[in-house]
Amino acid sequence: MQHPASQRPSGAAARNTTKTFLSAAAVLSALTLAGCGAGGGGEQSTDDSESLTVLVEAGGKAELTGIAEKFTDETGTQVTFVELPYEGLYNRLNTEFSSGSTSFDVAALDAIWLPTFADAVTPLNDMFTDEVKADLFPALVEEAQVEENFVGMPVWTNSEILFYRTDLFEDPAEQSAFKDEYGYDLAPPTTWEQYQDVAQFFTRDTDGDGQTDLYGTDVKGAVETEWLATVSQSGAENMVLSPEGEVTVNDAEHLAALDFYVGLNNDLKVSPPGAAQIDWAGAQNLFYQGETAMMRFWAHAYPQTPEDSPVAGKIGAAPMIGGPGGVAGVPGPWYLSIPKTTDKQEAANEFLQFAYDNNAMGIDSSLGLAARVSAFEEYEGRPGYEHFDALVETLSAEGTKPRPATENWQEIVDSALIPMLQKALEPGADNQQLLDDAKEQIEAITQ
Amino acid sequence: MNGLVVRGKTARTILWVLLAAVTLLYGFPFVYLLLTSFKTPLETIAVPATVFGSEFTLENYASALGREGVVASFINSTVTAVLSTVISLVLAVPAAYAITRYRTPGGQVFILVALVCRMVPAIVVGVPLVSLFRDLGIADTSIALAIAHTTLSLPLSIWLMTSFFDAVPDELDEAAKIDGCSRLGALRRVVLPVVSGGVAVTAIFAFLASWNEFLFSLLLTAVRAQTTPIVIANFQTQFGLDWGSMTALAALYSIPVVLLTLVLQRHIVAGLTLGAVKG
Repeated sequence: MQHPASQRPSGAAARNTTKTFLSAAAVLSALTLAGCGAGGGGEQSTDDSESLTVLVEAGGKAELTGIAEKFTDETGTQVTFVELPYEGLYNRLNTEFSSGSTSFDVAALDAIWLPTFADAVTPLNDMFTDEVKADLFPALVEEAQVEENFVGMPVWTNSEILFYRTDLFEDPAEQSAFKDEYGYDLAPPTTWEQYQDVAQFFTRDTDGDGQTDLYGTDVKGAVETEWLATVSQSGAENMVLSPEGEVTVNDAEHLAALDFYVGLNNDLKVSPPGAAQIDWAGAQNLFYQGETAMMRFWAHAYPQTPEDSPVAGKIGAAPMIGGPGGVAGVPGPWYLSIPKTTDKQEAANEFLQFAYDNNAMGIDSSLGLAARVSAFEEYEGRPGYEHFDALVETLSAEGTKPRPATENWQEIVDSALIPMLQKALEPGADNQQLLDDAKEQIEAITQ
Repeated sequence: MNGLVVRGKTARTILWVLLAAVTLLYGFPFVYLLLTSFKTPLETIAVPATVFGSEFTLENYASALGREGVVASFINSTVTAVLSTVISLVLAVPAAYAITRYRTPGGQVFILVALVCRMVPAIVVGVPLVSLFRDLGIADTSIALAIAHTTLSLPLSIWLMTSFFDAVPDELDEAAKIDGCSRLGALRRVVLPVVSGGVAVTAIFAFLASWNEFLFSLLLTAVRAQTTPIVIANFQTQFGLDWGSMTALAALYSIPVVLLTLVLQRHIVAGLTLGAVKG
């Protein structure tokens, strides 16, 4: 038991205690004030009604920066970007939409997220006039519509095209040797068969040490989009899922696509070892190191070859290859959407319209992409934009289709498609069985 | 005797080898990060990867520091971590002191609850905090983020301080009170100086918890309070990863905590051993 006197501070002690707490409070207050004003507060508009906050993935901010600056000049409305990493952006969107209030007025959404967030964003049906739809690639219009509503305005799009090494393809000795061996001219391949021929032709030991050091192509096992493009090239009516939700991943076209895709690695052995773990960055690295002669890759990379790469200045671009169903790619668009919760609907709408009207400005950014056909066509033929012909042709191809509109898409990719591809890259894999298994997994996810 | 000496030498050699192996295991990723930050863009993505680059360049540092918002994010990280550390200590020290000195059943329950709180996944707290801070009008501020970070560091701080206070005999408090100190005076004038090493350890853990935190920073900040871990992650985009700039900024971001740890190393060792000798 405490003595009463010991619980009661003396006068001097009480003063000291008070001083201590006052000091602590002062320090805390100072730090608090500093904390509230720290960082990039200067970027925000002082008048909140004349500002818009745009949530955007870090890689896409550059696409919108010029447009936003022009928007501010012409309307006086400040645009503040909140830049987040790709994975983080999805989490942030999910959290804010779930909480019922949002800190942003416009968000840049990956196409595959549109079905997930469709109910949380404002329909943009009035913006999608016939004229607008005619100037967008068909797959982009299709992807923008979730059930009856258009929920996002495309701001830029990408697609895989074919990158090839011009120092090899334009070498007269290579051209002659190829013609002797295959009976036709060496050129960027347009069909699966030509792709196999050219890949086999360039797979070789260039320095005579008994080890293959140049491969025809890469095969990516750690990402799914390239195989999905192959599915569309095979002529499949539906990619993985039908619009009614039926899982079609084990049909004949998907099997043909898988056989071709993994056959480059398993049977023809025209790709570097470790295909199951090769992703976008890995494939790009191999190509830039000069270890592959061809690469199917996102078009934006064309002007981004590192200057110290042995293949810098020796890269050509061609449309994506075609299979029995013709040329096809998978579009990779991003859309601008307006959350229903923002009270700046009018200003946000105005920004989206402005971004559409000035879409070509995105081409001058570091990412160098747009969404409107007319924007790409404006730059076609200009030096540095040699890849636009290939990109427009791939995006306009009849076989180019968007990924299925389902909220479960990311789970399907992570749980079923990528593991299936990686197993298919193992020697002796039974592709039909793997697709049947994938079907079961996808049905379990979607039903 | 000779056998004992030989066995002693062998044991010492094995210990040194183990020590070197563990140091290498912990240190290599950081050393590799540092070395990568000085490589050319092509060498940062070389397949197969190389430990040393053929050229030394500061290009990655220039690129990282030239990115918009990097300096502001450093200021935000520092302010948030300092605030969070101060709040943690201001709350944890009296709480731990009361638990150890009054030893009430409520105190024992409280410390258990604090431990349970430490086990709650951050995302569970993060989602409600988004709405809460917005309603309070402090969304996207360093103070809001520091409060969120305190939810992570406070339970650990209370546990650490409890173990440090436990090691100080009650007789010291009694002696201080006989000399005229109040309870808080005894804490401030006598007990706290004895456990200063423990306070330093707790402060470092609280600081590091905030300095390295990612999820709350992702959910609760936008422009004004965005911290450096988010800016570092922004080098990975959907279309690629800028290894050079990312490693350069990560290396720069490591410097303050490495320096802090080196400066406070003596206190950390003293603090850790203070808790360890509790009988």
